[in-house]
Parts: sequence; structure tokens; C-alpha cells
Amino acid sequence: MSQAASAPPPANETLIGGTTRRPRKSTVGVGLAVGLAVVLLAVGLGGGYALGKSLGGSSGGTTQYTLTETGSTLIYPYLNLLGPNFTKIYPNVVISPAGTGSGTGISSAEQGLVDIGGTDAYLLPNVAAQYNLINVPIAISSQLIFYNVPGLSVPHLNLNGTVLAMIWSGVITNWNDPLIQAANPGVSLPNLPIVPLHRSDGSGDTFMFTSLCFLSWKGWTGGYGTTYSWKAGQPGYQGNAGMVTGLTNTRGGIAYIGISYLSSALAAGLQYAALGDQAANVNGTNPANYILPTPTNISEDANLALENLQPPSVAISLILGGVPGATNLQLGAGGTMPTAQYPTPYPDVNLEYTLISTHPSNPARQTWVVTFLEWAISSGATAPRLSTVNFLPLTPAVVGYDMQALASVPIG
Amino acid sequence: MDRREPIPRPADGASTPTPVPALPNRRAANGEGRSRLRGWLASPVALLPLGLVALVAAVLLWESRLANLGPSFWGLNYFFDPSGGAPSVFGVSLFLVDSAIVAGPALALASGLSLAIAISTVVYLPPAPSRLLTLLTNLLAGIPSVVYGIWGYVVLAPYFGTTAQPTLRGFLGWLPGFGGPLSAGGVGSLLAIFILTIMVIPITAAVMRESLRNVPNDLVEAGLALGATPWEVVRRVRLRAARRGLWGAVFLGLGRAIGESVAVAMVIGASIQIPPNLYTPSTTLASFIFYQLDSAFFYPNLLTALTEFALVLLAVALVVNLLGQRASGADATVIVTGGGRG
Repeated sequence: MSQAASAPPPANETLIGGTTRRPRKSTVGVGLAVGLAVVLLAVGLGGGYALGKSLGGSSGGTTQYTLTETGSTLIYPYLNLLGPNFTKIYPNVVISPAGTGSGTGISSAEQGLVDIGGTDAYLLPNVAAQYNLINVPIAISSQLIFYNVPGLSVPHLNLNGTVLAMIWSGVITNWNDPLIQAANPGVSLPNLPIVPLHRSDGSGDTFMFTSLCFLSWKGWTGGYGTTYSWKAGQPGYQGNAGMVTGLTNTRGGIAYIGISYLSSALAAGLQYAALGDQAANVNGTNPANYILPTPTNISEDANLALENLQPPSVAISLILGGVPGATNLQLGAGGTMPTAQYPTPYPDVNLEYTLISTHPSNPARQTWVVTFLEWAISSGATAPRLSTVNFLPLTPAVVGYDMQALASVPIG
Repeated sequence: MDRREPIPRPADGASTPTPVPALPNRRAANGEGRSRLRGWLASPVALLPLGLVALVAAVLLWESRLANLGPSFWGLNYFFDPSGGAPSVFGVSLFLVDSAIVAGPALALASGLSLAIAISTVVYLPPAPSRLLTLLTNLLAGIPSVVYGIWGYVVLAPYFGTTAQPTLRGFLGWLPGFGGPLSAGGVGSLLAIFILTIMVIPITAAVMRESLRNVPNDLVEAGLALGATPWEVVRRVRLRAARRGLWGAVFLGLGRAIGESVAVAMVIGASIQIPPNLYTPSTTLASFIFYQLDSAFFYPNLLTALTEFALVLLAVALVVNLLGQRASGADATVIVTGGGRG
């Protein structure tokens, strides 16, 4: 046996001569590949073990929880920021968020696939009740209108909802249109065709923007939602990042972009507009009616809109602070929503929602979901964390509502 | 290789004892049980792909319940009001036409280039550069489609917007489809065609190369012996003998071009319209399903419409792929008969 084992290789070499290198080489190759696979496996197992150990670490006997979230890509970076900080306080809980899209967030929450669903657009209360879910806002976001018009003498053009709706409807087609000129007295506007951009994927930003157009201009057709039948020929881009890239490439372009992408859009040399409030839709020439999306202006909008809600609900559109006398906004099939009826400093504002179950299958696990959200809207919502993604803290009215709603969730 | 195939046939017909009785002998030695077991294992495994396709189709059918299958479903109009203000129209033909407008030119370009690549590697190039060219072409297949998409909208789109589109219009603007408005940001049908062409080439080139390589040497040498130049041999012998394999390659490429969603969605501009020319944005059926999916979770009737669209896409892809498989799969025998004719 031992003889046989040692004999063949030299026999091979002497018999076949030059060609012996080939099988040898392949043996070495296979050996290397197997070795590499073993090393990778070991690293993976070891890493996983170490990760598990570090997660389990200090809390000793307590049960480990990995809370899953999926949904809005706008919320994702924020939750990604909150998660590790929550784990620092409660080492037995890990938050695992995923940016998949608001629609996926809602559908996953409805099917009970995740602990938390994230969405830019609220779930209608009647639909939410049907699936035993509640809307829990965790932050305020807003949307900016960016444009790529070189050589303007002002840092921010004045644009209002009526003008925007007309641009995307194809009624206003050039930057030197009289209606834009009227809102921007003294500004020399170029003779340049307007190219309105839109989001090709399902998007809370599209929901906000089409809501603004719908509420601002009677000529707006096609309703509002996370998708919209845009006028033929207008280019669409994937995600906010795609919009920034697309607008950068498009001279004369205009786009609606979530405030999380403010810094990347500014870095690309794009400018954003001061948006007209409800009064500007009636009288677009008064400069006082145009508001910049500063934190104060956005926050004030949310305060005004939310403090006086009847009946109290957070499933609400903050667009234009709710238009007095306007039709109620609704999302999806059936049901209507009250809109706040107060004037709004910055008109394109939105709540970022999480959806959680009111009939959890595992109440002990739900305890941690509730604890996390309570932390996320109170001590977890520090200014540096919010400003990283350009979100704003919830107003006291919304925090109060959230706390009440979270207290009603049965936990173990 | 190909020469061997015709030879056993007369042997079978003459029923000479050499290979045929060997099978029962082996079977007896290994035992009936094992071969039966193999048969039992093999048939479900063979049916698995068919079962999976049937399952996918069944799920899509169930999910869509064919709720929108009216005459308007096959029309050219699409309109969806998410807030339910106006009745929706889901016309699938609009997207099929757009798919054809994008996939057709991409396939034509890719087929031409692939044929050139295949002829070069098989006939003209010395072994080393030929292998290199094959390697490089195959590498293209390994690039994930999302990478093509990012490259398309970050690098190519500005170039198409400022240079490629105006240049093309300058030269060919008099041709229908080449004149008219440009796409300002560069995204649009032309960019999608360009990206798709590159994505289809590895598939068509590989199948075409193998088809040309499988042409029996006898035929080639016969051609040369008759005094034909190498190019005449390519044109009259190789291309003719490999004809069906080449068509198979085209159909497989078509399947890829019609089915690609991510890369196309990123560069086509996502405008629901039949593009008035090659430059303007449009949307293919596959990319439309891809980027509307998230919204479909909000709006139940959009979800049913999308699943019906997916059924149509599945049917188109199946037909195209079956045609491709049939053409290229029949190649081995076709080469011999085709060669006989040539």
C-alpha cells in the first residue's frame, strides 16, 4: 500500500515526460481552490460567530432579538444610523433595516414579514385597521424642486404649485414663460426649453409632488400617487440619486428631489427653488409668498398643520398645509383623509412613517419594537442624527400622538 | 466530431452485434434496480424546468385573475390614475411595440457584430488573438446588468445628450426615426439600444462561433479545393452550413434583449409612449414591470395589470427561446444536411 502510494508520481513523470506538469498543475489549482474555500468558510463562520457573540455579549442570559425593517429608501439611511446606537443601549437588540421602497414596506408589514414597515406615504387608517397596523411617524422630511438653468442672477427662483403643475403638464414649456417671469420680477430668464424629470420607480416623492400639483392647479389630471401617468416624452430616472444625475446632465431640466439628497444635488451644482404657499397659487407675483425650505419653515409647517387636527390623526398629507376647501387626499382604493387646514410656510413637507402590528404574534418581541420606536422619536432623535439625512424632529403634537398609539400596542 | 455521427447510422441499420448487445449486458451486470432508479430519478428532474415554468405561469394567472383582459388590454393606450379619479386603461401592446423598437435594432446591431466576431475568431485570426477575442467577448457576459445601467446613465447619457444624438441626427436626420427632437439628458431609446447591443453580443457571438466551428472540415476543404477564396468559403460554405445555428443565436439574443429589465430601466427614460424617433424616452415591457412593482403594492388594480403584463412577457420570452433552442439544438443534424445541399 505504502509503496503503491509513493510509486505512481515518479512513474508518471518518467513515462509521460513533459506532459506530467499539466496534471500536477491542476492538482495544485484544485488544492488552492479548496484551501481558499476552506479559509473563506472559516472566516465566514468565525465572523458570524464573533458577530453573534458580540451581539449577545454583555446582556448574558437575555433573549436576542433582530428586529427587521423594510421599505422607504428615504427612511433607510436614518434607521441605519439609529440602529447601532440603539444596540449600544440595549445590546440584546439589533435593528436590521432594508431600503426596498415604500410599497414593499407596506406590503411586507401587511403580510407580517417584517417587524417594521417603512413608508413615505401613510397607510390609510381603514386599510391599516384591516391588517392590524398603525402608522407611527418617526421624522419630518421635505422635498425640494431643483433645476439646471445656468447663468441665473438669483440663487433661488420662485416657483409655485400652479406653475409646477403646468410645467409637468406641458402647458409651460420654456424658462422665459410669462408666468415664471411674473413670479421672478427682475430676473433675466433664458430662452431655454424646460425638461421636466420624474421618478420612474414607485416613490413617496412622486406621491408628494403629484399631491402638490393636484392641490395647486385645477387643470391637473391623472390624480396623485406613488406612480403617475406622466406626459409622453418626459424622461424618468431611478431613485433620488438617478434624479440628481439626470438633472445634472439635462440643461433646462427641473426635478423634484427628496431633502436627503440636498448635499449631493448642491455638490452637482444644482439650484433649488423657493416654493409658493397657498396664497402664491392665487397671486404668484408677491415675493413674500415664496418660502425657502429652511428647517424652521419646514418645522413650522408641520406644527401648524398638525396641532389643530380634527379628529387627531397622523395619516395626513402636509402638502400646502391642507388646502382650505380642497378635496381630501386619499391613497389607494377607498377612504378619504382629512387635510390640515392651516397656511403653511414651506408647502412640500411630509411625515416619514413606520408601520407596526397591533396584534403581534410574539408580544415579547413587540416590546422591543415599541421600545425602539419610543426611543427613536424621543432621546434617539438627536439633532446630529437627523441633520445627517436632513430630516427634522417631530413636532410635540405628533410625538404625543405616537406615544399614545405605541402605548396601546399589546406587549409582553 | 461531425463525421462520426453519420457513420454509426449504417452500423445501426445493419444491426451488427458489436455495440447493441453491450447495453443489455451492462444492464444485467449492474442490476435492473439501479437503472430503474435512474429512470425514476431522471424523469422528474427532466420535468422540473417544465414544472417550474408551469408554476410561474399558474401563479401569475392566479394573481392577475385576468381581470383586465378586455379589448383595451391589447390596445396601445396606457393610463393609470392612482387616486382613482378616472378609469384606468392598461394597454399591453404599447409596451410590446416599445420593446420591439428597442430590441429590434439592438438585435440587428448585435447580430452583425457577433457574426463578424465569430467569423474572425473561427476563420481569420491566429489562435492566440482568437482566444483573446473570445475571452473578452465572454467577459462582457459576466458584467452584471446593473453595472451596465450605471455606466449608461452616469457616463454614456451625457455623451449621448451632447454628442452622439446630435451627430447621428446630423448625418441621418433625413431618415424616418432619425430626425426630430433629441432627448436632453441623453437617456432614451437610442441609449437603451446601445446598452442592449453590448449585452446581447456575448450570447449571439458564442452561439454563432460554435455554429461556425461545427461546420465539417470536409466541406471547408472541399470548397478550398475547388479554388474558392477563404471569404468565398465563409460566405458560401460556412454561413450556409451553419445557417440554422446562426438563426438560433439571433433568437436567443432576442430573448435576452426583450427580457432585460434593470439596465434598460436605468437608461431608457421611462416615458410611456411610442417614441416618435430613436432618441426620445420610451419604456419596454420588462423595464416597466420592474419599475412599477413597488407602486403596485399600493394599488391592487395596478398589481393585477402588472401580473398580466408579466404573463404576456413570459409567453413572448418562451416562444422566442423555444424558437432559438429549436434552431440551435437541431444544428448538429442540420449542418450535415445543409452541408450536403451546399
